[in-house]
Amino acid sequence: MPNISEYSIIEKGAKIAKDVKIGPYCYIGPKVKIGSGCVIENNVTIVGNTTIGSDCSIFPMAVIGTSTEGDDDKCKCTIGNANSIREHVTIYAGSAKKPTVIGQHNLIMISSQIGAGAKIGDHVIFANCTHIADGAIIEDYVRTSAFGFVDEDMTVGAYAFTAGYVHVDSDVPPYSMVQGSPYRVRGVNSHNLKTCGFGDDDIRSLKRAFRDLYNGKGALNPQALAKLMNEKRLNVTVKNLIKQIKNSRSRKAKLIRAQRAEDRKNG
Amino acid sequence: MANLEVVREIHPAARIASNVKIGAYCVIGEHVTIGPNTTIGRHVTVSGHTSIGSGNFIDDGCVIGVLPQDLKYRGSDTMMIVGHNNTICRNVTMHIGTETGGFVTRVGNGNIFREGSHVAHDCFVDNDCTIGRSVQLAGHILVQDGAVIEALSGVHHFVTIGRYAHIGARTPVRRDVPPFTSFYSEDYGWTPPSVRGVHEEGIAHASLKKDEEAELRRALYELFDDEAALQTKIEQLVDLGMEGEAAALCEFCQNSLRGKFGRIRESYRGKIPPEAVEYISDEKLAELKQQGIIQA
Repeated sequence: MPNISEYSIIEKGAKIAKDVKIGPYCYIGPKVKIGSGCVIENNVTIVGNTTIGSDCSIFPMAVIGTSTEGDDDKCKCTIGNANSIREHVTIYAGSAKKPTVIGQHNLIMISSQIGAGAKIGDHVIFANCTHIADGAIIEDYVRTSAFGFVDEDMTVGAYAFTAGYVHVDSDVPPYSMVQGSPYRVRGVNSHNLKTCGFGDDDIRSLKRAFRDLYNGKGALNPQALAKLMNEKRLNVTVKNLIKQIKNSRSRKAKLIRAQRAEDRKNG
Repeated sequence: MANLEVVREIHPAARIASNVKIGAYCVIGEHVTIGPNTTIGRHVTVSGHTSIGSGNFIDDGCVIGVLPQDLKYRGSDTMMIVGHNNTICRNVTMHIGTETGGFVTRVGNGNIFREGSHVAHDCFVDNDCTIGRSVQLAGHILVQDGAVIEALSGVHHFVTIGRYAHIGARTPVRRDVPPFTSFYSEDYGWTPPSVRGVHEEGIAHASLKKDEEAELRRALYELFDDEAALQTKIEQLVDLGMEGEAAALCEFCQNSLRGKFGRIRESYRGKIPPEAVEYISDEKLAELKQQGIIQA
């Protein structure tokens, strides 16, 4: 295998496609599968039941598939095609029941961390030092800015943008831009929507819906939501937005967290 | 005890001075130049068209000269230049430039980069700067001489950080920071950061003449101590006929006000910035213009 450096350790049992390039001083565990066209640079560690799709590039010092529980072999992590995983990124593997899943065409920038059991969609860009906690769900085309932190079990809706240093402690609605600490919904992520091929009509009706729902203050107005739901002839994107807001798990997740805290208190 | 062979992969074409110390598990690429008296730790990657000067100390886990995190990058032979006598602590990452940003990322002399800090594509870090722990510099930034950035700060694209400016810990910097000022948010991020005072250490470090220092302090006081519009205050100061550092401060503030979102370097979007001109040959510049990658 000419593409694999002699200084790397590839454990027996690792399934690696023929044209994969692996640089020196990597460690590939025994249950790892790597698809064709991947480029893995030096000093990369991939362990656990990790499956990596084709055409991914993984940069130096990245660590993929490590367990938070200490037993790498029981954990599972699935990474799709054409992802770029940059330097010093850590991707933790989830349990066999709730694996870490990463979609396609994502860019995970330097020093980011993805927790166990997180679900990442497609075409997502995480800027530097983004921290995705365990079990968080990031939908398609999300962009996060640097030092973002998504709390456990939270969802960031599709096409959303979180500004720098935002702590996502409740679900972020799709198509939105959130900023501040604690975060507020600041408006529609219209630039991202335009580049993703949404029409002017969609963006205009979304803007109107956001103006009604959040009223410039960032907190959801429940009366406006009820009024908007009763409206006939709603735009498809607005319908989707309302559906997501209704299904928002933030309250439930907060309840779970409160329960956990209580349990801890009681020992 | 087993005599372990110390392994490191150094490309035979790399130009490395004879007294450079390189630790175990390092990977040094083909087009790399490393000057004398440089020490490199363990697990360090140096790739790309990177030149590192003399007397640098690069600690474990650093990754220098890899591809930029820019979607517009087309794979040209862009450069990364590190000057002399820099201290680069553990896990620091530095990226090569992009075509649209001027082909070069440059770090000057005598800087300190603390653990985990990041210098993105097309940044220019001048001399004697201190970059704190986990500070993330985005693309196209200019950090001028002697600036101090404290830990966990993030700097937006195209920001200029003035000479001897100071940025407090955990500060999102979204606009230009004027020279000799202290820029932070009073309650660590709950309110937007702004200029909160004078960077006394910076003024002491710059070793100014007495008259110049007095004038600079007056200009700083006038500009940032009351609520009137910055533009009128700058005009008043310019009418007084300031010289030296004070005049430079006024010019900096004026430029930032002219720039988009308070960032003068926004005007270099898709153009070659003046700092990068010396690193690009005229033929390459003409070729790029012909291909329409950069604007004339």
